[in-house]
Amino acid sequence: MRLRHKMAEAISVKNICKEFPGVKANQDVSLSIEKGEIRAIIGENGAGKTTLMNILYGLYHPDSGSIFIKGEEVKFHNARAAMAHGIGMVHQHFKLVPSFTLGQNIVLGVEPKKAFFVDNKNVNESVKALSEKYRLPIDPEKLTLEASVGEQQRAEILKALYRGADILILDEPTAVLTDMETEELFVMLRGLAQHGKTILFISHKLREVLAISDNTTVMRLGKVIGTVKTSETDTCQLAEMMIGRETEGGRMREDNVTPGETVLEVKGISVRDERTLLAVRNASFEMKSGEILGIAGVDGNGQEELIEAIIGLRPVVGGEILVNGKNITQKSTRQIRESGVSYIPSDRYKSGVAVDAHVWENLIAVDYFKSSLSSLFLLHVRNINQLADNIIERFNVVTPNSKTQTGHLSGGNIQRLIVGRELGSERATVVIASQPTRGIDIAGTEAIRQNLVDYAKRGAGVLLISADLDEILTLSDRVIVLYEGEVFDAGKYDDKIRKRVGDYMTGLHEEGCEL
Amino acid sequence: MEIDLRGIITVSLIAATLRMTTPVLLATMGGIFSSQTGIFHVGLEGLMDIGAFFAVVGSVATGSPWGGLLYAFVACTIASLIFAVIHLELGANEIIVGLALNIFAIGMTKYLLVEILGNAGYYQSPLIKGFSPVDIPIIKDIPILNEILSGHFPLVYIAFLLVIVVYLVLYKTPFGFHLRTVGEKVEAAQAIGISPKRIKYIGLIIAGIFCAMGGTFLSLSYLNLFSENMTAGRGWVALAAINFGLGRPIPGLIACLIFGFADALALRLQQFDLPSQVVLMLPYITTLLVLAAAAIRQETRKRRAGRLKAEQEKAAASA
Amino acid sequence: MNKNGLKLPLRKQILNILSEVLSQGLNYLIILVLGLAIGAVVIWLSDLDPVAAYTSLWKGAFGNVYKTADTLDRSTVLILSGLAAAVAYRTNVFNLGLEGQLYVGGMAAAMVGFLVQGLPSAIHVPLCLLAGVLAGALWTIPVIYFRIKWNIPVMVPTLMLNYIGILLTQYLAVFKFNDPTSGMIGTPKLLDSARLMKFLPGSTINIGFIIAIVMVFVVYWFMFKTRTGYELRIVGFNPSFAAASGMPVNRSIFLAMLISGGLVGLGGATIIMGFFGRFITSFSPGYGWDGMMISLLAQNHPIGVLPASIFYAALANGALTMQSQTGVPQAVVGMVKGSIMFFVTAQLFLNYFRGRMRKWKLTSAE
Repeated sequence: MRLRHKMAEAISVKNICKEFPGVKANQDVSLSIEKGEIRAIIGENGAGKTTLMNILYGLYHPDSGSIFIKGEEVKFHNARAAMAHGIGMVHQHFKLVPSFTLGQNIVLGVEPKKAFFVDNKNVNESVKALSEKYRLPIDPEKLTLEASVGEQQRAEILKALYRGADILILDEPTAVLTDMETEELFVMLRGLAQHGKTILFISHKLREVLAISDNTTVMRLGKVIGTVKTSETDTCQLAEMMIGRETEGGRMREDNVTPGETVLEVKGISVRDERTLLAVRNASFEMKSGEILGIAGVDGNGQEELIEAIIGLRPVVGGEILVNGKNITQKSTRQIRESGVSYIPSDRYKSGVAVDAHVWENLIAVDYFKSSLSSLFLLHVRNINQLADNIIERFNVVTPNSKTQTGHLSGGNIQRLIVGRELGSERATVVIASQPTRGIDIAGTEAIRQNLVDYAKRGAGVLLISADLDEILTLSDRVIVLYEGEVFDAGKYDDKIRKRVGDYMTGLHEEGCEL
Repeated sequence: MEIDLRGIITVSLIAATLRMTTPVLLATMGGIFSSQTGIFHVGLEGLMDIGAFFAVVGSVATGSPWGGLLYAFVACTIASLIFAVIHLELGANEIIVGLALNIFAIGMTKYLLVEILGNAGYYQSPLIKGFSPVDIPIIKDIPILNEILSGHFPLVYIAFLLVIVVYLVLYKTPFGFHLRTVGEKVEAAQAIGISPKRIKYIGLIIAGIFCAMGGTFLSLSYLNLFSENMTAGRGWVALAAINFGLGRPIPGLIACLIFGFADALALRLQQFDLPSQVVLMLPYITTLLVLAAAAIRQETRKRRAGRLKAEQEKAAASA
Repeated sequence: MNKNGLKLPLRKQILNILSEVLSQGLNYLIILVLGLAIGAVVIWLSDLDPVAAYTSLWKGAFGNVYKTADTLDRSTVLILSGLAAAVAYRTNVFNLGLEGQLYVGGMAAAMVGFLVQGLPSAIHVPLCLLAGVLAGALWTIPVIYFRIKWNIPVMVPTLMLNYIGILLTQYLAVFKFNDPTSGMIGTPKLLDSARLMKFLPGSTINIGFIIAIVMVFVVYWFMFKTRTGYELRIVGFNPSFAAASGMPVNRSIFLAMLISGGLVGLGGATIIMGFFGRFITSFSPGYGWDGMMISLLAQNHPIGVLPASIFYAALANGALTMQSQTGVPQAVVGMVKGSIMFFVTAQLFLNYFRGRMRKWKLTSAE
């Protein structure tokens, strides 16, 4: 039983609105959180939770709405102001300097001084004291680069506590932890709550949310769907609130697509990320010609690493990848592409085009070495121009001509250029499309989706990775879900698939709930 | 061919080493500050040139070497600010701006040499008041030690003392921590509210001040004159020394001493008509080896961490 | 703007290309003019006549056929150095070691020139040139190794090899192959069969200049009309994109460095085989660094390197005349060069800024 007294309110927001160009990140969001409460904020990609947390931490300014701390309205101009009001944020990607000790990182910016120098003894002692008070075990003299992930996270938390944070915001804190470390974290969080600290944490892992939070707020598409008392709800209800019942947009596939031969086989591969952790564990799945296989999942569960491994940009640890029966594991990107794979990358400016190059230079980037387009000492300009004009026309790339500098094109047209290049030659039997319509206008989105559907109809297999669940369900014949690097098969499209996918996305791997 | 080593390796060689190390050491220590903020500063050469020139101008104007030092400080600070603005505010590539600074400095000092001091090529005059050597009490009477440690120009002592100061500032003061944060993990600085731009400005100005000292030593200590190309590539050597130590002051000092020793030894060898080039090459080769060693160490560390993680995961999975 | 992207009429296409060339050329011209303007201001401030100064500068560089030929001869090594820089920078490989590669190339050509006897000119000359190219290229191998094996950025290793190269060749010239009979410290004279043929009596200009001109077009062809040149340029624009498209990124970096070293090595060879006739220590007052500036001034375009090099050579040649005739010190030329560098950095800032604005507009509009 908890008293809903205004005095016990630690932080609340009323009618927060925040829009970015083309996206309503937060629409009329209102929340109230009490002192000592552990509140989970859940939602899938694009729900608006990260935007809201950034507003609370002073990194964004809301377009309208107000923030109250202990009942008083406050305005944050920057992160420092938020910190001064007792808000501390623990980021998903730690902001610790590797060559400092944990203690030095914790006191960074507010170092205790003795004359001109940092009082190292004080640093270690006060950090140790804080660590013992809140039961977050840490060795302040340990070098950060030698500390484990769990230790580093505790350092991040202590960093906030050292500055007197009363309200802690944790962004996907368990993403980098093992099960055991997660348990330890929860014990620590409960201890902090008992000390009167208020904790907000963002997660998409429902089982953990149920284990640790007092209340859970569900967000979707920028709105608060509802707040429930965690003890009175279950994963089924939360999952449904998170992903909704209806799929937006019509279905773009027929219901009886008969798949052909297997074009892509992934057998038991694992992939490491930048921190040498396993982002993908023992993943296996198959894709057949003529089908669109959707890979769903909350961002950061290994999708990027998986497809980078398939296209040869990341090494594979164990396992095999076969395209049309040919083993392409550990082969070069050129060889993989020659085996019949096309790739539409998620970060188009980084890996999809060279913005300073001409349009035609971007259009021939994959096939330029073929004999029709070039010989050893000569680029066949006429053939290249023909190819370029052909793609520009077929895929409706709006550009004055093929010699325009690519950076002059709008984002939507750059994406059409990329899709045109990857699909235009019609040689690929496996198309990897990662976030193909992210940030694209409606017309472009429609066109690109239609391109993919048409291409699959002609007998290729399309691997569609999207953070937008509606897009996955609009286009896919079958769906698999990546959760913590593991693959879960949600099976063929039917009217219950949304629920299945949602369950897997949030970590519920047993049989689903009743309807 | 008889090589009388005793004629080459003498006590005075050590003294010469300290002397020849000084200008590079000063530039290196200054450059460490800008390097630790993540800037690859190729303009150290130009800054030293400007420092050497304006030190002479200032000495003539004020009648004192310390006045010369002051003029050098001001000139180098202005030059550093120009660099900073073009790189930090206008976003120009730091290497190109650094090179521009070098070229401009050479041209400008060459020109002003004629305009202000009235001579072409070099300027020497009794009006230039240089530093006087300093005798340290007590030590000056101890044989051998007195030749090595006493009787140097003030800037030599200042240079070596500054190494300690630089070390302390970088690793023991809050400012030093903030500086290194900007260079190593700028997001950590931004999250705390430290402005990376401000830190970089400060780093560049400090580099300028140190280079001013380095240049001043060249023109106002051993030789009281300014000549074109006086710096003779020392700014580039400083850059090598900084990289040798990966931005850290103590290894940087060692690199400078190696360079200084090589310089002094080379001079001596030239007197005996022996090839000095081989000796002079050594510091650069050493820098390359150190770079390779550091890279290999990082690779093995990464691989070890990867294996460690793999074992941790196996243990966690079976637990 | 043709919305359907259909082929524009030929006349419009030509106009498009012309306007792009014109605007780039205009940029380039403005920078040169601004640099000269600064020089003029400096001259004027010291109570001298800028017009007279620049006139004598011009006369010194291009006053008659012989002077012009001399200027063109001087530009030979600058052209090759500029091309070397252009190839490297277009591939985003920051080769700071041009000076050292220049020296090594010059020494190699000299050695083949005075050590190898009994060859006819038609064989000896190409052999020496080849030696210069190979030496310059091979001098970049340690850098490439560091880059590809250990991911060490090329800047510091190329810098270090500068000194090592200069010192090594110095050692060879002073101790191993010294010719004590001549006034300047250096190697013995190259055999006549190894010298580059002069073609205008009264001037030092030799076929080295022709070689440089040919290389301008060869490099242009290579970078813009061949598939390998295309690869290098795309790697230079965006290495992640190049990798994702399947291009051999490491091989491109490797090649760019080799070609860069080879070109400037050729520059060293031509100046030793042409103007000097033997390897002299300190024969280069910074031709390698000049090449860098020239390439940046020419926006790393091989054709643009040609006028920029001639401009620099003219400055150098004319300066002496300017000083002796009008009393304006040669140092003004240094300031002109320096100002040009500053304007080039501002220019690059403009491009960068424009690019950033565009990207910002694109990403925020989505």
